[in-house]
Amino acid sequence: METVLDDNRSGPSGQRIGGNLARAWLVLVLALVLGAALAAVQVHLSPIIAANKRNETLRQIPALVGLEPATLKPGSLEIRSGVFEVPANGTARFYRVFMVRLEGRLAGWVVKTAGQGYADRIEVLIGFDPGVTAITGLFILEQKETPGLGAKIALPSWRRQFVGKKTATRLTVVKGRSAGAGGIDAVSGATISSRSVVRIVNRTVHDLAGRLTPEAVRFAGGES
Amino acid sequence: MADQPTATERFVQGILPENPVYRQLLGLCSTLAVTNGLKPALTMAGAVGFVLLSANVIISLIRNLLKPHLRIVVFTLIIAAFVTMVDRFLAAYMYSMSKALGPYIPLIIVNCIIICRCEVCASRQSVFTAAADAVGQTAGFALALVSIAAVRELLGTGALAGVRVLPAAWPDWVVMVLPPGAFLTFGLLLALVNWVAARRGGGG
Amino acid sequence: MGYAVDIFLIAVSAALINNFVLYYFVGICPFIGVSRRVEMALGMGGAVTFVISIASFLSWTITTLVLMPGAPLTRWAAGFFLPPEAAAAVDLTILTYIVYIFVIASSVQFVEMYVRRFYPPLYKSFGVFLPLITTNCAILFACLVIMGHVVGVENPAEAWDLGKALTLGFFGGVGFTIAIVIMAGIREELELCDVPEPFKGAAITLIIGGILAMAFMGFTGVDSGLRAALGGG
Repeated sequence: METVLDDNRSGPSGQRIGGNLARAWLVLVLALVLGAALAAVQVHLSPIIAANKRNETLRQIPALVGLEPATLKPGSLEIRSGVFEVPANGTARFYRVFMVRLEGRLAGWVVKTAGQGYADRIEVLIGFDPGVTAITGLFILEQKETPGLGAKIALPSWRRQFVGKKTATRLTVVKGRSAGAGGIDAVSGATISSRSVVRIVNRTVHDLAGRLTPEAVRFAGGES
Repeated sequence: MADQPTATERFVQGILPENPVYRQLLGLCSTLAVTNGLKPALTMAGAVGFVLLSANVIISLIRNLLKPHLRIVVFTLIIAAFVTMVDRFLAAYMYSMSKALGPYIPLIIVNCIIICRCEVCASRQSVFTAAADAVGQTAGFALALVSIAAVRELLGTGALAGVRVLPAAWPDWVVMVLPPGAFLTFGLLLALVNWVAARRGGGG
Repeated sequence: MGYAVDIFLIAVSAALINNFVLYYFVGICPFIGVSRRVEMALGMGGAVTFVISIASFLSWTITTLVLMPGAPLTRWAAGFFLPPEAAAAVDLTILTYIVYIFVIASSVQFVEMYVRRFYPPLYKSFGVFLPLITTNCAILFACLVIMGHVVGVENPAEAWDLGKALTLGFFGGVGFTIAIVIMAGIREELELCDVPEPFKGAAITLIIGGILAMAFMGFTGVDSGLRAALGGG
C-alpha cells in the first residue's frame, strides 16, 4: 500500500498511466476477446431467454380460462397482455393482465398477482370469466414454501378447489372438509400458506371485479 | 517446481486423494445449496466443470504472458466471463433448472475451487495437464455433490432424480431437503470420509 | 408507513429469517474457517458487514445508472452514437457479473487502504480479514439479490430503491455476524469436549451448523405475521 501512495507523488501521472497500460495489455486484449464472445452470446441467446420468460406464463393461460389448447383451431386464440391500474389507498396497484379472445370474442381474463406467503412471496396466475364473476383457474407461478407442506399449494388437486368460485363471495379457509360456497380446504399442516393464497385471491378479486373491462386495460404496443 | 505432477496424477488426485469438497473443503456454498436433489447437483457440477475446464485451458495457454501482480485480475476476468456464458446458456436451454439454481450459478465466480486450480495448476503447467486437472477436479466435485444429493433426496422425498424409489410407506424426512439437512448430511459424510482416510492412512 | 414496514421486514428477513449463512449457505468458508474464537468471528463479521454495505451501495448505483436496460448514463453515452430509440434499448446486463466482482474486489482494496491509514485501531480488529473477503460469496450474493429486485421487475413501484438495497446489504452482514459469532461461542466450549477424531474440525462445525439452521427455521413465517400485524398488506 505504501508503494502505491509513493507512486502518486513521483513523476507525471500521464507517464504512469501509459506504463500501466503497457503492463496491462494482456488484460485489455482478454477483455476485448471475452467482450466479443459475450456480445455474441447476448445476441444469440437473449431472444430465446425472453421467449422462455414469456412462455412460462403464456403456456398456462388457455387452461386457466377453461380452454383446451389441443382442441382449438390454430390461430383462433388470441392473447393480449396489458397493465391494469387500480387506485389503492393513495398509490396505484398495477396488475399484469392477459385478455384471452377466442375467434374474436372475449373468452376470459388471466391476471398475474403476488403476495406474501409463509416463507417468501407467492406469485399467482388467476383466470376469470369475461365478466369477472367467477374464477376459472388458478396457477402458482412462483413459491418457496416448505417442501412437503406449504409447497403443496402448487398441486393441481389443491388448486382445483378455486375453479368455479363466484367472485361475489369472499373466500375463507376452512380446515377439514370444504364447507359452504366460499370455503377452501387448507393444505394439512400448512394453514398459513393456504391462507396466504386465499388472501391474495380475495384482494385481487376485490380490485378487479366490476372494474376489469377491455377499455380499462393499457395494452402493450398501443394499437387496440 | 522441478517435479510437478503429471497429467494422469493430476486427474486421479482430483477424484479422491485431493477431492475438492471432502479433502480441500472448497466450494462449500454450492455444495450445500444445490444438493437437495440429484438433478440440480449434476447441473451445478456440469456448470462448474465447463467453467473450470475453459479457465484452466485458457490460463495454461497464456501462462508465460502472465504478470504476477495482474494474475488474479486475469483469472477473475476469465472466470466471470465464462460464468456469464453458462448462466445465459442455462437460461436459454434449461429455463426451469436455471430458475431453480438462481443465484448459485453466478456464485460460481467466487467458487474457490476454480481460482485455486488456476493458481495451483493451470498457471504453471501445460494445457494437457491443466485440462486433465480440470476434468479430475470436476469428477471429484461431481462425486461429492452426487453423494450428498443422493442421501438428501432419498431421505427427504423418497425419490432419486425425481423418481420415487422408496415405498409409499416411507415418511419423507422433509428436513433433509431443507437447509439443516444439507449441514447434517455433509457433516456426517465428511466425518465418514475422514474416518476411512485415517484407517487407510494408519494401515499403510 | 408502508415504506418503513418494508424496510423493517427486509432487515428482519435478511438478518434472521433468511439468514445468509444458515438459509442461503453463502459465506460458509469463513463460517467454518474463522469461527474458532469469538473475537475473530466478530472481526470477520464486522469486516463483512462493512464491505457488504459498500458493495450494495455501489452495485445498486451502477446497476440503475449504467447496466439495466434504459439506464440513464448508458442512454446518454449511447446517444452520441445511436438514434434515441436504439440508445434507450442498450442492455448491458450481460456484463453484470463481471462488473460486480470487480466492484467487490476494488472496494475491498479501497476499504483496506482507507481503514489502515485512517483508523489503525479498527484495522487491527478486522483489517486482517479484509483480503479474504473478495472471495466471500455473501458479498456477491447480496449484489445479486439486489439486482434481482432492480432489473426486470415488471411493476416499477416494486423495484427496490437505494434504501432497500442498503438495508439488505447491511442486515445481511449483521445476519452473517450473528451466525458466525454464535458458532464461535459454541466452538470455544467445544474445546473442552471429547469430539471423536473423524468429526474434529469441519465435520462437527457443519453438524452444529445444521442444528443452528434448524433453530433458525423457527423464524420462518415471522415476516408474514409481522406484515399482517403492522398492516403492510
